[in-house]
Amino acid sequence: MTELTELGIAEAARLIAAKQLSPVELTDACLDRIAALDRQLDSFVTLTAERARAEARAAERAILADGPRGPMHGIPYCLKDIFDTAGIRTTAMSRLLEHNVPDRDSACQEKLASAGGVLLGKNATWEFAHGGPSWDVLFPPARNPWNREFSPAGSSSGSAAAIAAGFAPATLGSDTGGSIRGPAAACGIAGLKPAYGRVSRRGVIPNCFSHDHVGPLAWTVEDVAILMQIIAGHDPEDPGSADLPVPDYRAALTGDVAGLVIGVPWQWLEQELPPAPPTRAAFESALAVFRDMGAEIRDVSLPPLQAYEDAKKTIAVAELFTIHGQDLRTRPELFGASLRYRIIAGGLVLAEDYIQAMRWRTDLARAMQVVMASVDVLMLPTAEPAGRLEPVAPETLFTKTSYTTAFNVGGNPALSVCCGFAENGLPFSLQIVGKLFDEPTVLRAGHAYEHATPWRDRRPALVARETA
Amino acid sequence: MTVPYPDREQILFLAAQAGLTLPDAYEDELVAAYADVRRMIDRIPRGRPRSDEPAHVFVPTKFPPTKA
Repeated sequence: MTELTELGIAEAARLIAAKQLSPVELTDACLDRIAALDRQLDSFVTLTAERARAEARAAERAILADGPRGPMHGIPYCLKDIFDTAGIRTTAMSRLLEHNVPDRDSACQEKLASAGGVLLGKNATWEFAHGGPSWDVLFPPARNPWNREFSPAGSSSGSAAAIAAGFAPATLGSDTGGSIRGPAAACGIAGLKPAYGRVSRRGVIPNCFSHDHVGPLAWTVEDVAILMQIIAGHDPEDPGSADLPVPDYRAALTGDVAGLVIGVPWQWLEQELPPAPPTRAAFESALAVFRDMGAEIRDVSLPPLQAYEDAKKTIAVAELFTIHGQDLRTRPELFGASLRYRIIAGGLVLAEDYIQAMRWRTDLARAMQVVMASVDVLMLPTAEPAGRLEPVAPETLFTKTSYTTAFNVGGNPALSVCCGFAENGLPFSLQIVGKLFDEPTVLRAGHAYEHATPWRDRRPALVARETA
Repeated sequence: MTVPYPDREQILFLAAQAGLTLPDAYEDELVAAYADVRRMIDRIPRGRPRSDEPAHVFVPTKFPPTKA
């Protein structure tokens, strides 16, 4: 039998519904594994073990009496430590929030709790989901379960590491320039940045209002779809929330991608930001899988990646300064050096520059939608395989170009899935981008690819040891 | 066209205008970070039509009344 901690949401829910698995047993298995192994990974900053056991017992009683409320009933999950959790410390990894205990749950936590989920605890992130990795903030950075000397990327680093390590089958992260997809890629799991406005950000500590997205991470695309069904939907308390019907995400997972039109932005990959040869080879192999399943692949041309980066980061630095300005004025020493460098100059950005960048964002987002109208999805790598976990020069945030930020500017849904492994055992990643609010097509493509390839069969080999 | 590039003293003056009276140790950090930010700002296209509205214009229905 599969180890309990390797069960995804879908399979665990099936066993719970059939009364072959107890939520208490599953929760204990997750907590035991965390206790045995997380000293090596630092993926959790707060563990709510007693509360989790109580929630699991309550779920078990309710399920035995009336059956499960849905697929998350009795399923353990964790949250990036920027999601407000009433009565549970929420720090964003920052010394500024060392004693912050919210009195209200974030909208997403409310939904997961209402669905009967069992909260295991809060995950490591980069400071305020922006500056990192850092060794001068409240907690050490999370490590990559495939090799703890390597980075799980950021900023939803602990969330992705926890899923890959088998500590929990479900988690949520946030993505302002790639912070769900990058960690999902580095840790070889599935992570979805939904369309801007699809999931409420109410009660999530902001990075940059205009580009912040909330979304799920899990071992499989099907589990991501299950989580999306629970957290998606209009929230009048989030001004960016879209008042649109929520599709049936799981029903979209037909396994059929025949006729799917895939656009590949080759000018990004061949001229502006060429991937390393092994990464390109993994990407081309993934395209071949889709071609063999009947998809059509076309070249598409988008504005330069650099334009998307410049518009987003100019907007971000000004918004970040607005959020953190008072603390920078009064207690700058409490920020980690990485985050402080990345926001301190925001106070010198002119209002005109910010608004010109917002005008440019509109152009760039429109250009994205013009291209998306000619295809069903875009595909490209999410990122290079993870690098070593070591301090990164803070200016790289401003100078580095990524494959992910453009889709925060456009607001398009974008999914990262594992597409193989490098010689050193670290995962390769495939990014699948959809039309605005068309998460179902993105998930359908990712799910079909997962089922056509063997990558879900390999797990990180973590071994308990006395000292980490 | 953007405004002329400020020298170190002007950057510190602008920071002071923004309410940032930084310890000496952070002044070099600010000057370096401003250079990074300024490179991005200088690449933003200008000369747009007067009526060209930015992303995220105010939509009043998105901001329901809250309790006083």
